Amino acid sequence: MIRAAGETENAADDDDPGGVAPTFSALLEDSAEDLYEHAPCGYLSTLMDGTIAKINTTLLGWLGFERAELIGRRRFSDLLTVGGRIYYETHIGPMLALQGEAGGLALELRTAAGTQLPVLVTSTVKRGSDGDAQLIRITIFDARDRLAYERELLRARRQADEERDRVRKLASTLQQTLLPPVLMTVPGLQTAAHYHPASVDEVGGDFYDLFPLTGGTWGFFLGDVSGKGAEAAVVTSLIRYTLRAAAVFEPEPISVLNNLNTVLHERFLAGDARFCTVIYGSLVPVPDGCEITLASGGHPPAVVVRADGTARFLHTPRGMLVGGVPNASFTAVTTRLGPGDTLLLYSDGLTEARTTGSSDRYSEEDLLAFLATANATGAAEVIRVLTDLLRGFGDGVEDDTALLALSVPGSDS
Amino acid sequence: MSGVFAVTTRTVPTGTVLAFAGELDSGTAPAAHGAMTKLSLNAGDQLVVDLAGLEFCDSSGITVLVSAHNLARGAGAGFALAAVSRQLGRTLDILGLTGLFATYPTADDASAAWSPAGSREDGVV
Repeated sequence: MIRAAGETENAADDDDPGGVAPTFSALLEDSAEDLYEHAPCGYLSTLMDGTIAKINTTLLGWLGFERAELIGRRRFSDLLTVGGRIYYETHIGPMLALQGEAGGLALELRTAAGTQLPVLVTSTVKRGSDGDAQLIRITIFDARDRLAYERELLRARRQADEERDRVRKLASTLQQTLLPPVLMTVPGLQTAAHYHPASVDEVGGDFYDLFPLTGGTWGFFLGDVSGKGAEAAVVTSLIRYTLRAAAVFEPEPISVLNNLNTVLHERFLAGDARFCTVIYGSLVPVPDGCEITLASGGHPPAVVVRADGTARFLHTPRGMLVGGVPNASFTAVTTRLGPGDTLLLYSDGLTEARTTGSSDRYSEEDLLAFLATANATGAAEVIRVLTDLLRGFGDGVEDDTALLALSVPGSDS
Repeated sequence: MSGVFAVTTRTVPTGTVLAFAGELDSGTAPAAHGAMTKLSLNAGDQLVVDLAGLEFCDSSGITVLVSAHNLARGAGAGFALAAVSRQLGRTLDILGLTGLFATYPTADDASAAWSPAGSREDGVV
């Protein structure tokens, strides 16, 4: 088209410079009348009462009416669906009367065939030289494409929402498989646990478990895998099963961690460079309580809250993170829980939480000081006060947090 | 989410110094791992990881340090950390790694202390 116009122009240049304007104009638009009739939008003029006075061919084509069926016989609102008619009469009419124009209105027209045509309508009032309103001029754009586009947007939005919900459900379901659904009850002990996920979208890497071994002894552990998400969850799952299997095979805590280290380090060498920190413990019932042996692999120290309210760490120095290096060394510590004593294992989501209103982080020492003054006795009570503490940190808890407590009921309870 | 991170490698008479600067986290750890795969370590060399410019190190960063240690061990080379911050030192302590990594105030100190025949400085546990 453009090239053709250019050629014509050149030809005209050579022969008749004076003939350029009319030829070019004729190619661009035949006439104002033709532009009105066949414009790529509908034009409609009505009297002030809405009676159709003039309508273009484009709009007649869309509607499927003959001109004579409409001019002087129908009102614009007759072309609208019932809802559109009410909206027109209650909103658009008054707006036109007040402001002389109304734009960007989404309405639906009824065609002669009975189908509905979504349109965008803009109206202005034409006034005579005396200022009196004479006509309403209405421009109508076919909005089928736009409506389809908006429906598509809505559909995409709905799909995105569903995807997000699905991911969250998957994350929470996966998380549940990494934790015991209900903590087992050890005869003569009280047990309690809490898991605080830092994100609803991602599976965290903390884990814990408590399970029976032979001869009335029990095994338990709490740990933290480096990283988050599905890949960390796979390792978390591997760790849980390895620890349980290793404990049956060779129940001594340091041996359990040695076996876990062998399994994890193979993965580490194979390219999945992840490690975990964990405390594994064995529990042997004795009269009036239990004997506990803990082995730590790079994990923050466990805390014992004694019946008299004092709290102290069970240090396991130089116990190395698990899986990073071959032949890692682990350290064990032994303690006895008597009536009223509580053992607490926790992950660093708690001790590295940002404390409210500051950039400072909570610490192991803060935790010990808190427990020493919290006056909480027994596993359930210790977990309760710590859950409240975590809640108080709010968004300051940036990592997942797992808590596991075991206690011997006090002599008075 | 990840901040600025830079890794530089330089050759010194005692071996190689790998310097990490900026934030070492899950976003930047692949760059650090990438730099390590390009190292050529000889038995008896020393690999020093210089952390003087390190501002942040999360668990992914710890993985990088452990991998660097394993790489040196695998090549029969020694391994040391230089300029470990107080906070990172505390983390390494909890993770039980202080016995695994020989640490020095500066990379030069690490080089000066290196003797291929000795086994104390090479971090072998």
